[in-house]
Amino acid sequence: MAQRDLLEANLSREELLALRNKRTGLSIFQLSWILVFVCLVVVNLQLRSNYPSWPPAGVEPLSIFPPTLATVLLIVSAVLARQSMQAVNTGNISTFRSLWKAVLILGAVFVAIIAYEWIIIPSSGQYGTLFRVMTAYHAVHALAIGIYMWQIYRTHITPNVTTNTEIGDWWLFEAGVKLWYFVVVAWILFYVVLYWI
Amino acid sequence: MATVSIPVGGLARPAEAPRLRVSDLLRWTVDHKIIGIQYMVTSLFFFVIGGALAMMIRAELLTPTLDVMSSGTEYNRLFSMHGTIMIFLWVIPMLMGGFGNYILPLQLGAKDMAFPWLNAFAFWLIPPAGILMLMGWFAGQAEAGWTSYPPLSTLYSSDGQTMWAMSLHLLGISSILGAINFLVTIKNMRPEGMGYFKMPLFCWTILANSIIVVMATPFLAGALTLLILDRVAGTGFFNPAQGGDVLLWQNVFWFYSHPAVYIMVLPGMGILSEVLSIHSRKPIFGYKMVALSSLAIALVGFTVWAHHMFTSLNPELRVPFMITSMIIAVPTGIKIFSWLATIWRGKIHFHAAMLFALSFLSLFVIGGINGVMLGALPFDIHVHDTYFVVSHLHFVLFGGSVFAIYAGIYHWFPKVTGKMLDERWGKVHWALTYFGFLGTFLPQVVLGILGMPRRVAVYDPSLQWLNVVSSISAFVLGISFFFLLYNFIISIRSGKNAGPNPWRALTLEWATSSPPPPHNFNGDPVPFDDPYGYGTQASVDYLNAQLGIAPGIPHLAADVHPASKASAHASGD
Repeated sequence: MAQRDLLEANLSREELLALRNKRTGLSIFQLSWILVFVCLVVVNLQLRSNYPSWPPAGVEPLSIFPPTLATVLLIVSAVLARQSMQAVNTGNISTFRSLWKAVLILGAVFVAIIAYEWIIIPSSGQYGTLFRVMTAYHAVHALAIGIYMWQIYRTHITPNVTTNTEIGDWWLFEAGVKLWYFVVVAWILFYVVLYWI
Repeated sequence: MATVSIPVGGLARPAEAPRLRVSDLLRWTVDHKIIGIQYMVTSLFFFVIGGALAMMIRAELLTPTLDVMSSGTEYNRLFSMHGTIMIFLWVIPMLMGGFGNYILPLQLGAKDMAFPWLNAFAFWLIPPAGILMLMGWFAGQAEAGWTSYPPLSTLYSSDGQTMWAMSLHLLGISSILGAINFLVTIKNMRPEGMGYFKMPLFCWTILANSIIVVMATPFLAGALTLLILDRVAGTGFFNPAQGGDVLLWQNVFWFYSHPAVYIMVLPGMGILSEVLSIHSRKPIFGYKMVALSSLAIALVGFTVWAHHMFTSLNPELRVPFMITSMIIAVPTGIKIFSWLATIWRGKIHFHAAMLFALSFLSLFVIGGINGVMLGALPFDIHVHDTYFVVSHLHFVLFGGSVFAIYAGIYHWFPKVTGKMLDERWGKVHWALTYFGFLGTFLPQVVLGILGMPRRVAVYDPSLQWLNVVSSISAFVLGISFFFLLYNFIISIRSGKNAGPNPWRALTLEWATSSPPPPHNFNGDPVPFDDPYGYGTQASVDYLNAQLGIAPGIPHLAADVHPASKASAHASGD
């Protein structure tokens, strides 16, 4: 039996219900909150429909390479986050540590690349304004969730933790990974709209 | 035919009924019942403020010239705050936060909401949001109406408009957190034996409402963020001079706000299902259709937003939106006809709760038909931005939502306080409210057709007498609220003790003491097989068991409908 199942088997009826509630609640929250990103996509599409071309005439489009690299890194980070949960589930704490750190590093590189894009884009006009608002809105989420993941790692995976039963509240990590998936999905939505359409 | 074992589990009879102190309302608590009361008291406070603003509007409109207000801008501020407060700080928090929090966990037999801490947090966002909105007075109050259309809301209004937007942001977050809590509670915390189609219909409407909130409110959040950026950061999303688009706001705002109309009325419909069935001792006619029609309203509600923009919309899109606007009348009609069939030949008890519920039926039908008329493109263009729209909105949101709130107050006050509200004063309150309402808003139908524009303080003198009738009736309507307040006071002080189940109702909130103890029930309550299974011997046995009376004896003749007596006995129930 996997560690996660073992832990859940030991929970009382109330604790199990609380865990179930957290999982359902987080899923609904993600479904709801992604719609703010969809709203910004709608805003982008409606505003650009008022222009004969997009970017507007005279505005140089951004290079596709840096954001594509950032997107690939972010997707890889999501895969690693999933693998980190599998590692801790099978009791492999050292692999878990490495993978969790890798997720955080890749996330930081992603934010740095987008920050670079933010700096180089022309500041005036709807093209630049829309780009900045959308990427900044996403970056706020990436940073907040990244800091949360760093914080729970720092406080729960201290050097003396050697087995997965010592981790404590499993849910904190599960929530971190699921929130990171949210960051990835929201970015892919923006990436397509900002760079490809 | 309901067949159940006689339940006793859940009936809590503490030695001393819990007493609610005023200080309880001011403290952080995670008890869903106290949070529910906190929502109710807070929203009633804002109802009084919004009502006072309405009285000032009607006082201004007594004459066709500007006399109470010093300028048109001041009048703009008046109706902007009236609309915003009534919608976002009265109806929505009262129905969702107040009734939803207090009643839903009890009806599900749960000890609390799924996330008690989050529940408290969602409530405590409301008072600062309300204060922020009112503080706008000192910065130049919001003046662009509750719809806040640019460019008035972006280029020509004071800082109070920014505070308005920030306040709405907080209220939106509160709504989303509350809705997530309701959805999880409904999904995970129903008692054993209570499938979705055995839930009370009030829970169904909260379910549908919560779906709307989590799907629509993020769009309001997005739109408000951009509005604030336009106002404080110099962006031009809604400013054509900067490459923006004023219609962008209308599209995104109405994508939230039309579903929000259903947010304001769906829980009221849930209250109506409870009250009509219980006070006519009849099962709900077409339970499944009534339940599913709530979801249908939620779904179709997302496809009609552009009917608010008929005059500015791309002509090719007008007819599709006209069709969807009319389609939404179908699930609403299902409810209306089901309610009529429910009370048909029932043993109707004309309690104040029932009078308000029946009034909802009559007024909401008028509002609904007005709505279908507005959904028809040629008529809408004729009465666009006239008092016809004001009248329609109030028939739906006052005649619908507020009458439902009053019905709910009279119905559940005994559960919340342990005391019955005085029926005599309740009926006086009802009569003043009902006739005051009709006198206020029926003339506005005519004013609209005659072409009186809304949101103006100065109008054609030939329309004055209709405005005088409307204003005097509005003052009666305003006064009527104080009869409810008076009733609250005398009933809490010296009202008749209610007991656990004064209406002999079958839903679980009545299977515990009034008011319920902390954690609501002793052990796990056993729901009756059919929450509206009135008129059967099984239901009588269930209710008698709550009183410790042996099965087989009809406690009250009124409980058993003549038509179902024979079948109940024939089946051995």
